[in-house]
Amino acid sequence: MHTEARSARRSNQIGRLFIYGSLIALAAFYLMPLWVMIVTSLKSLDEIYGGSFIGVPQAITFEAWNKAWQEACIGTACTGLRPYFINSILMVVPAVILSTGIGAINGYILTKWRFTGANAIFGLLLFGCFLPFQAVILPMAQVLGRLHLSGTIPGLVLVHTVYGISFTTLFFRNYFITIPDELTRAAQIDGAGFFRIFFSVMLPTALPIIVVSCIWQFTQIWNDFLFGVSFTAGQSSPITVALNNIVNVTMGRKQYNVDMAAAMIAAIPTLFVYVVAGRYFVRGLTAGAVKG
Amino acid sequence: MSLKNKLDLWLPRLVLSPSLLAVLIAVYLFIVWTAWISLSSSQMVPKFDFVGLEQYVRLWSTPRWHTAVANLFIFTTLFLAITISLGLFLAILLDQKVRAEGFLRAVYLYPMALSFIVTGTAWKWILNPTLGLQKVVNELGWTGFVFDWITQPSFAIYCVVIAAVWQSTGFAMAIFLAGLRAIDTSIIKAAQIEGASLPRIYVSVIVPMLRPAFLSVIVLLSYISIKSFDLVLALTNAGPGSATEMPSTFMFAATFRRNQMGVGAASAIMMLMTVAAIIVPYLYSELREDRNAH
Amino acid sequence: MKLTTILAASIAFMPVAALAESKGKVEGIHHWVSESEVKALKVVTDKLASKGYTWQDSAVGGLSGANALQALRTRLAAGNPPATMQFLGYEGLDWGKQGVLRSLNELYTKNGWDKALAPQLLSFVKNGDDFISVPINMHRQNWLWANKAAFDKAGVKEPKSWDELIANGDKLRAAGVIPLAMGDESWQILEVFEAILVDVNGPEFYKKAVVDLDEGTLSSPEMIATFDKLRKVRALVDDGFTGRDWAVATGMVADGKAAMQVMGDWAKGEFLAKGLKPGVDFLCFPTPTDKPNFKFVIDAFGMFKVDDAVTTAGQDAWAESIMDPEVQKQFNLFKGSIPARSDVPVDSFDDCAKRSYADREAAVKNGAMLGGLTDGFAAQPQFAGVFTDVVGKFFVTDMSSKDAVQALVDGINNAR
Repeated sequence: MHTEARSARRSNQIGRLFIYGSLIALAAFYLMPLWVMIVTSLKSLDEIYGGSFIGVPQAITFEAWNKAWQEACIGTACTGLRPYFINSILMVVPAVILSTGIGAINGYILTKWRFTGANAIFGLLLFGCFLPFQAVILPMAQVLGRLHLSGTIPGLVLVHTVYGISFTTLFFRNYFITIPDELTRAAQIDGAGFFRIFFSVMLPTALPIIVVSCIWQFTQIWNDFLFGVSFTAGQSSPITVALNNIVNVTMGRKQYNVDMAAAMIAAIPTLFVYVVAGRYFVRGLTAGAVKG
Repeated sequence: MSLKNKLDLWLPRLVLSPSLLAVLIAVYLFIVWTAWISLSSSQMVPKFDFVGLEQYVRLWSTPRWHTAVANLFIFTTLFLAITISLGLFLAILLDQKVRAEGFLRAVYLYPMALSFIVTGTAWKWILNPTLGLQKVVNELGWTGFVFDWITQPSFAIYCVVIAAVWQSTGFAMAIFLAGLRAIDTSIIKAAQIEGASLPRIYVSVIVPMLRPAFLSVIVLLSYISIKSFDLVLALTNAGPGSATEMPSTFMFAATFRRNQMGVGAASAIMMLMTVAAIIVPYLYSELREDRNAH
Repeated sequence: MKLTTILAASIAFMPVAALAESKGKVEGIHHWVSESEVKALKVVTDKLASKGYTWQDSAVGGLSGANALQALRTRLAAGNPPATMQFLGYEGLDWGKQGVLRSLNELYTKNGWDKALAPQLLSFVKNGDDFISVPINMHRQNWLWANKAAFDKAGVKEPKSWDELIANGDKLRAAGVIPLAMGDESWQILEVFEAILVDVNGPEFYKKAVVDLDEGTLSSPEMIATFDKLRKVRALVDDGFTGRDWAVATGMVADGKAAMQVMGDWAKGEFLAKGLKPGVDFLCFPTPTDKPNFKFVIDAFGMFKVDDAVTTAGQDAWAESIMDPEVQKQFNLFKGSIPARSDVPVDSFDDCAKRSYADREAAVKNGAMLGGLTDGFAAQPQFAGVFTDVVGKFFVTDMSSKDAVQALVDGINNAR
C-alpha cells in the first residue's frame, strides 16, 4: 500500500513535469515572434544593419516608437500612425456593433421564428463566409461608387458589416438554438411581441456569445488589409494600410526599428482585446459556439 | 388571425430581409459577375464579351496555377491536422488544473490577434537561416543544426504551414478547452474508479465527446486556410520562385498585377467550386440533422 | 458680445482664408514611401505649392507598386479617380488606351517638352498622337555596385565580361567575401538575368526576345547559354539570400561582407547614406559587356480625366512642376537617378550619375537605349510575369537551362 502510493505519486510527478515542460516549451515558441518585434523596436537602426536581428539590444531606445506614432512619413504626409489609428477605431466600432447586432437578431429569427426556408436562408448566409474576397473587390468598388461611399470610412463600415453578417449569424444561431423554445413561448403567451422577446428574453442570456462575436469581428476588421487598401485612400486609410505604407518600402532603406514599433502599435488594440477578454472568450465558446 | 398575429408572422421575415438582400448582392450577385468575367476576354478592365472557356484553358495551362492548387492541398491538410492535434493537446494539458492558466492561455491565443502584416517581417527573420533560429542555435553550440526550409522551393510551403499553425492553434485550443469544460467531470472520475488510465480515458471517452467542437474547428480552420493571403505575401511573397503560390495570391497577381483579369476570375470560380464541394454537403448534413432534432 | 462677434467673424472667414491660400487640391497615388523617395517627392510638391495648389498624398506602398495599381483600379471602378498617378512601364499606355487619361498635348507643345526627352522614352509617355504622362526621372537598371576594399583585397578589377565576373568569384571567396549579394525575390533575379541577356547577346537580340517575344529567338541556343551563365552566377551568392531585401544586400556590399551587387541606381542612396564616396569606398560600373547598352526605368505621372476645372488646372500645375528643369535636378539628386529631361545638366551630380548621363547620350545615338524588363518597360505585364516566374524558379531550383527555355516559350504562348 505504502509503496504503491509512492509510485503513484512519482508517476504523478512525472506527469506534472511533462505537462509543465510541454506548456513552457510551446509558450516559448509562441512568444518568439513577439520577442523579435519588441527587441527590434527598441534597437537603433545602426545596430540592426550591423547584423543584429534577433539578439538582445545593446542600448534600449524608444525613439522608434515615438517616430512610428507621430513622425513617420507616408509619402509626404508625416503624421505617424496616429490619425490612421483613429480611422481604424472609427471604422471598427460601428462595424462591430452593427454586424453583431444584425447577427444577433438574425440568429434569433432563425431559431425562434422558424419559417419554411429558414434553413435554406441560413445556408445561403453561411456560404458567404467562404467567399474569397479578392474576387469581389471590383464589383464592390462599383457599388460603393454608386452609393457615393467610395474612399470613405462609412463605405468600409458598410463592407465589413455586410461580410461580417455571415459569421455573426452563425455564432448567434448556434447559441440561441441551445436556449429552450419554452422560454420564448412563455413570453409570447404573456403577450410579448417580436422585439420585446428579443430584447428582454434573448439578449440578456446572450452575453457570452456577444463577447465571442465582438472579439472575432473586432480582430477580423481591425486586421483587414485587402478592403482597406482597395476602398480608401490617403488620409482615410485604416491602420493596417498605413502600416503597410510605412513598412513596405520598395526602393529605399528600410527602417526596421520603426517598422516593428509601428507593427506593435497596430497590434496593441487586438492584443489588448485578446489578453483581457480571453477568459470570456473561452467562457463564451463553452456557453454556445461549440454546440453547433 | 388577428392583426398582431399577422404582424408577428411577417415581422421576422421583414427584419431578416435586409441581411438577405445584402448577402444576395455582395456574395451571390458578385459571384455571378465573376463567373461572367471568367467567360470574357477581360484583361486590364472588365469586358463583357463571351469567349467560352478560353480563360479556363489558359488557367490550367499555367504551371503557376498547378503549383497553387498543389500547395493548397498540402497546406490545408497539414495545417488542419497539426493545428487540431496541437490545439487539442494544449487544451487537454491546460485542463489539468495547471498554475498560471490564464497567462499561458493568453500566450497561446495572442497570435490570433495579429495579422501577418504585423508579424510577417519577424517571421521572415526567424525562418532565415543566416539571421534567425538556425543562427541562434548554431551560436549556442549546436553547430550542425540546420533549419533552412524557407530557402528550398520544395520545403518553403512547410514554413508557411508553421506560421499558420502558430497563428491558429490558440483558437483551436480555446474551442477544445470550452468543449472540455462543458463535459461533466464525474465521467472522468467514474472511468478512473474503473481503473482506466488518464490518457486512455481521453482517447476513448473524452475526445469522442468533443465532436461538435471538432466540427466548429474544422469549419473555422478551413475558412482561414482558404483565405490565407496576407500570410503568404508577408512570409514568402509566393517565393522562392513561385514555390509557395496559393490560389488566393495567384488570383490577386493575375487580376491586379498581370492584366489577366479573365484568368483571375476563372481561378476565383475554381476556388469557389472547391469550397462549395466541401462546404455544401457539410451544411446540408448539419442543417438536416437539426431538423431531425427539432 | 464683442468676443462672440470676433469668434463668429473668424469662423465665417476661416474657409475663405483657406481658399485664398490654396487654389485647389491635387490628389496623387504613388508608391514612393522610403525616406529618400519622399525627400525627392517633396521637391515637386513644394513647387506645386508655390503655384498655389495643395498636394494631397495617397501613397500606397508595397509589392513594387502592385498595391497602388489595385487601389487605382478600384478607384476607377468606383468612378472616383485621383487627379494623378505614378506610372511605371506600360501601365500609363494601357490606361491611355482605355481612354481614362487626359491628353497633355497642349502643355507639351506650349512648353516644348517633347524636344527635351529622348526618343525611346517618348514611346512610354505618348499613346498614339496623345501625350499622356510627364516623366520625372530616369533610373538606369544595369549597374554593378562593388566594394573597393574587397576588390583590392582580392586583387580583382572591374570585370569586362560576365565570364570574367564569374571567374573573379573564386578570388573573392578566397579573400573571405561573398562574391555577389542578392535576395531571392524574383525581380532581383530577373534583373541579373536580363543584364546577362543583353550584355552577352546585344541589344538587337534583347529586343527580339523580350520586346517582340519572337519564338525562334526565345528558344535559340543563345537563350539556353544565357540560362547557363545565370546558373554560374547562382554559385556566387550565399545561402542566406532568402527573403533578403535588395537594400540589405546593398548594405552587405557597403560593409564589405559582399563584393558586388547587380542593381539599379536606386542602390546608390544606400552607399551615400552611410557616408561612403563613389570611386573611393565603392565603385559603380555598368554590368560587364562589350556591347554597351543603357537599360532605363522612368517614373511618369499621368493625369486622369475629371469633370472639374479646378482639378484640371491643378493637374496642369502638377505637370509643369514635374517638368521644371530645376525640380528635375533637385529631385534626382535625392532619388539617385538622372533627370528625365536630356537638357538638364548634371554637373552638380556625383560621378555615377555623370557616367549614367554620358552613357545615355551614347546609347540614344547607338540605338542601345532599352526598356528594363524587370520594371515593366520591355514587355506587357502578362509576358513579363512569365519571365519572372521562369527565371525565378530556375534560379532557386536545379531546373535545367533547356527546361527553362521550354517553360519560357510555353508560358509566353499561353499568355498571348
